[in-house]
Amino acid sequence: MAAPLRTASRALARSTATAASVRTAVRAISSTPAVRDASSSYQSPFKGGESTTKVPDFSKYMSKGSGSTNALFSYFMVGTLGAISAAGAKSTVQEFLVNMSASADVLAMAKVEVELDAIPEGKNVIIKWRGKPVFIRHRTAAEIDEANSVSVASLRDPQADEDRVKQPEWLVMLGVCTHLGCVPIGEAGDFGGWFCPCHGSHYDISGRIRKGPAPLNLEIPAYDFSDDGKLVIG
Amino acid sequence: MATAIYNTLFRRNWTMLGVVFAGAFAFELGYDKVMNKVWDSNNRGRQWKDIRHKYIEGGDESEE
Repeated sequence: MAAPLRTASRALARSTATAASVRTAVRAISSTPAVRDASSSYQSPFKGGESTTKVPDFSKYMSKGSGSTNALFSYFMVGTLGAISAAGAKSTVQEFLVNMSASADVLAMAKVEVELDAIPEGKNVIIKWRGKPVFIRHRTAAEIDEANSVSVASLRDPQADEDRVKQPEWLVMLGVCTHLGCVPIGEAGDFGGWFCPCHGSHYDISGRIRKGPAPLNLEIPAYDFSDDGKLVIG
Repeated sequence: MATAIYNTLFRRNWTMLGVVFAGAFAFELGYDKVMNKVWDSNNRGRQWKDIRHKYIEGGDESEE
């Protein structure tokens, strides 16, 4: 019983001694250059008592540079790694997002230019845009008056004519019936506008639904008039 | 010298972070440029910009 107890206490004593000695050793190494110069003949930091532990000579592995140079180098390496990682992460995210955006051929198809000079007054033109027909009508003054004379509140999908056009003489809309997607016929129907032959929806000269099953007015695409008399759809 | 650099760039965390991000930006610019150059030199004569002049006369850069 007594023997293990004594061993334990001795181990305890030894560990405290080692801890203390390590602290001294560290302090001795990291302090002034005078101590470092003396490291060729290394002095054990253990004072007094018989030396049971040989502390190896680590001076060979010590950095030759000064502390500030080492710190600078370490932080430089850390910072460089961080910078490269940040650039890589940014690039990864960006490439994924760019990959999702529309490619050049899709963008090229997305816009259509129309020469407006070629469309005489009172005529319809149907062009294809993103796989859908687009109606362009050059309206006469009488037709514009007719579109404006309708009482907006009486409509199924109330919308004033000036909300549907950018220039009153040019009506641009998607030629897809809002009922089930047929293509309405121009200059037909009870209201002088468009008539859908599939289920008999009548649209007026502003493309608004007046009669029949369709719930909404004909849709207006995004378009713009360029300076040189062209219409750009898309 | 080393101490001065250390003190200006790395001493405070936010300065170091700024330096790292600025370095990342500069690194990315340079890296992209070098890699584009490598790619172009590997594919010389095969890209559209190299053979464009054979098919499109005039209006060099105005049209895309």
